[in-house]
Amino acid sequence: MKTLKDKDLHKLSGFPKNIMGKILGYDNDHLKMPNKIIEMGLLPETVFRILYQAPFSGPMYVEFGDEKSRIALREEEGNYIIVEELN
Amino acid sequence: MQETKKKQVLLVGNPNVGKSTVFNTLCNKKQKTGNYAGVTVASHSGQYTYKDEEVEVVDLPGSYSIYPSSEDEAIFSKFLIDEQKNYAGVVYILEALSLKRGLLLFQQIQDLGVPMILVVNQIDQAERRGVDIDIKKFSETLGITIIQTNAKEQIGIDEIREAVFSNQFVKTDTLSFETPNEHKDFLQKFASHKGIDNPYKAWIALSSEGELGKIESIKDLLAGSDTKSMVPKRLQVQETVRRYQKVDKILADVITKKPQFKELLTEKLDKVLVHKFWGYVVFMFILLIIFQSVFFLAEYPMNWIDDFFAWLSAFSGEHLPEGPVNSLISNGIIPGLGGIMVFAPQIGILLYFLYLLEDSGYMARVIFLMDRFLRPFGLNGKSIVPLVSGTACAIPAVISTRNIENVRERLLTILVTPFMTCSARLPVYSIIIGLIISDDTFLGIKYKALVLMGMYLLGFVVALLSSAILKRFIKNQGKTYLVMDLPAYKKPLFGYDFKLVLGKVWDFITGAGKIIFIVSIIIWFLSYFGPQQKPGEMVAANVELDHSYLAKMGKAIEPAIAPLGYDWKMGVGIITSFVAREVFVGTMSTLYSLDSDAPEMKVIDKMRNDVKPDGGKVFNFATGVSVLLFYAFAMQCVSTLAVVYRETKSWRWTAFQVVMMTGLAYFVSMFAYQILK
Repeated sequence: MKTLKDKDLHKLSGFPKNIMGKILGYDNDHLKMPNKIIEMGLLPETVFRILYQAPFSGPMYVEFGDEKSRIALREEEGNYIIVEELN
Repeated sequence: MQETKKKQVLLVGNPNVGKSTVFNTLCNKKQKTGNYAGVTVASHSGQYTYKDEEVEVVDLPGSYSIYPSSEDEAIFSKFLIDEQKNYAGVVYILEALSLKRGLLLFQQIQDLGVPMILVVNQIDQAERRGVDIDIKKFSETLGITIIQTNAKEQIGIDEIREAVFSNQFVKTDTLSFETPNEHKDFLQKFASHKGIDNPYKAWIALSSEGELGKIESIKDLLAGSDTKSMVPKRLQVQETVRRYQKVDKILADVITKKPQFKELLTEKLDKVLVHKFWGYVVFMFILLIIFQSVFFLAEYPMNWIDDFFAWLSAFSGEHLPEGPVNSLISNGIIPGLGGIMVFAPQIGILLYFLYLLEDSGYMARVIFLMDRFLRPFGLNGKSIVPLVSGTACAIPAVISTRNIENVRERLLTILVTPFMTCSARLPVYSIIIGLIISDDTFLGIKYKALVLMGMYLLGFVVALLSSAILKRFIKNQGKTYLVMDLPAYKKPLFGYDFKLVLGKVWDFITGAGKIIFIVSIIIWFLSYFGPQQKPGEMVAANVELDHSYLAKMGKAIEPAIAPLGYDWKMGVGIITSFVAREVFVGTMSTLYSLDSDAPEMKVIDKMRNDVKPDGGKVFNFATGVSVLLFYAFAMQCVSTLAVVYRETKSWRWTAFQVVMMTGLAYFVSMFAYQILK
C-alpha cells in the first residue's frame, strides 16, 4: 500500500488509488506525450481519482473532471502527468 | 422535370455518444452497412424521406479531435474536410454527460466553416446525475440550433428531421478559437500565400504538418519567422488547451449542478468487471458462453439446414435425368453449398455476441484487462478485438484494427489475426476430425470437441508467438500508448445488431456460394474430360476419374505434397482452397461424388474408405493431423488478402503474410506427417 510519502507521488503513475488528486501540469518532455491525453480532457487543474489498475502494472482506470469521465491509460503515459493531492 | 438530388448530411461526434442509436432510429428502413466499402468511403450510410425530401445520412467513425491519431480518425478528418462541398451540413451529437469533451471537436468543425446542427443526446442521464443543462442559454451562446434527444426512446428524432428539412444548419463566421498572438502574422502570410480564405484551415494545415491541407513549399515562407515555436505538435497542444478554456467558460454559464449524486450503473458494474481477479473470471466466462453457444445452440439450426440439403440432394438425384449432370448437381453442387450454409448459424451467433459486447461498452474493459498481457507480444490491448473477431472472420477483424494508433502494433495485429480459427476453417475441421477422431468421450467430453477446442487454442497461441517473433523485425515508428475512453455501459441495440449480423451472414453465404458453385463446375469439367486416349479424338469425354485432366493436374503437384501425406485429390482440394478454405468441402464433395462406385454413400464415408494404391487409407491419422495443421496455418483466403492489402497499402506485407503463413503450414504439416506416419 502506497503512502503519501512515496517520492514518485508527483506523477500520476504511482499516485495512490482512491484518493482525490489534481493535475498540475505535464512533464518537461511533454512534446513526446500523446496528444490524446490532452484531447480527452486531462488538463491542468482537473480533479481526478485512480479507481483501478490492471494486474502487473497494467493500465490505470482514472475518473476525472466534473463530468466524471473515465479513461484508461498506461503507467508510461501517466509519467508525463504531474499531480498533487487534493486537500 | 424534378431533379431530386439527395441531401447529404454527416453524423459526427465522439465515440460512444449514442451516434449509432441516432443513426439507426433516423434511417430505420434503408441502411447500407458498407464496412467493406473502402477507405475513402464512410463506414455506414442510410437514407430517410421526410416531407418528400430524400436525405442521405453518412455515419462517420467517432473521433475526439480533428487531428487524427489513428487510421479511423484519419478517415473521419479527411472525409470531413475533403468532401465539404458535397454535404449540406453536419449533425453533431453531444452526450449530455460529456459535453466538455464533445465541444472540443464541435468547435473545430465549426471553425472550418461547416454548417451544423447540434444534438444533445441522453439528457435524462445528466438529470439523474444532478446536472441541469440550460439548453436555451447553451443555444444562444453557441449561436446554433440545439435539439434534445433520447434516441433510444425515439424522442427528438423527428425534430432532427425537421431541422434538416428546413435547413437549420448554422455556419459561424467568427472563430471560436483565438490563434496565439505570436503566430498571427505568419498565419496571415501563409493563408494569403496559399489562397486559403479560412484562417482555421490555414492553422490546421500548419499544425498537422500538411496532413490536413496541402503545404508544399512553405520553407521560403518560414524564413525569417520564429520557427522554433512552430512545432506542429506544440500548435496542437496550444489549440486544445485554449479551446478547453473557452469550453469551460461556456459550460459554467450553462450547467447547474445539484448536490444529488446517484451512483451510476457503470460504477457498480466496474467494481467487478475490471477487478484484478473477478474481471478476468467474468471475461473467461463470457468467452465460454460464446463458444458454448456457437457449438451447442447452433446445432439445431445446423441440423435443419443439413436435413434440408440432404433432402434437396436426394430429390434432385431422383428427378433429374440420369447421367453425369445429375451427379454434378445432386452430389457436387448441392452438398457443396449445403456444406457452407450449415455454418451460417455459427458465424451469425459469434458475430452477434461480438457486436453486443462492443455495443454495450464491455469491449473497452476487455482492452483494459488484456493490454498488459498482449504487450510482450508486440501487440496492444486493442488487438484483442481483432483477435477475438478473427474467430468469426478475418475480414472484419483486419478492418477493426483501424483504431490501433501505433503503426507497428497495427501491422502486427493485421499479420497475425488470420491465424485465429475463423469460421471458414470449421467445415474443414469438422470433416477431418470426423474422419480421424473416435466418438469416445473423456470425462464426459467428446474427444472430437476437445480436438476442436485444441485447434482454436492452437490458432491463438500461434498468433501470439508469431507476433512476438515478427516484432523483432519490424521497426517501431512512433510511440506505443493506450489512452482510451471507458464509456458508460448501455443496453446494446439488440435489433440493430441483429440486422447487421444478418447482412454479414448473407454476404458470407452469397460470396462463398458463388465461389463454390463456380469451382464445383470447373472441377466437374476437368474431371469429366481427359486427354485423348484413342487416336483422332480431341479430348476424351466421360473418362475414368483417374484419367481426367483434373487427375493429371493433381498428380503433377503430387510430388510437392506427398511429403505432407496427401494424394492428388487432396492436392486439388488444397489448390481450390486458396480461393477460400471452405471450398475444400465442395471440392471433396464433387471429387468423391464423381468417383461413383457407391453413389448412395455419404461423401465422408467415401473419404473414409478411400485407399491409396498401396492399400493404405488415404485419410489415416497422420494425414488427418497434417491436413488440420495445414488449414490452421496456411493463408488461404483471397478476400482476406485483398483487405490486408487495402489496410496495409503494401504488396510487400501482403506477400510476406502469404509466404510466412503458407510456409509455416507446409513445414509443420510435413513434420507432423513424417513423425506420425
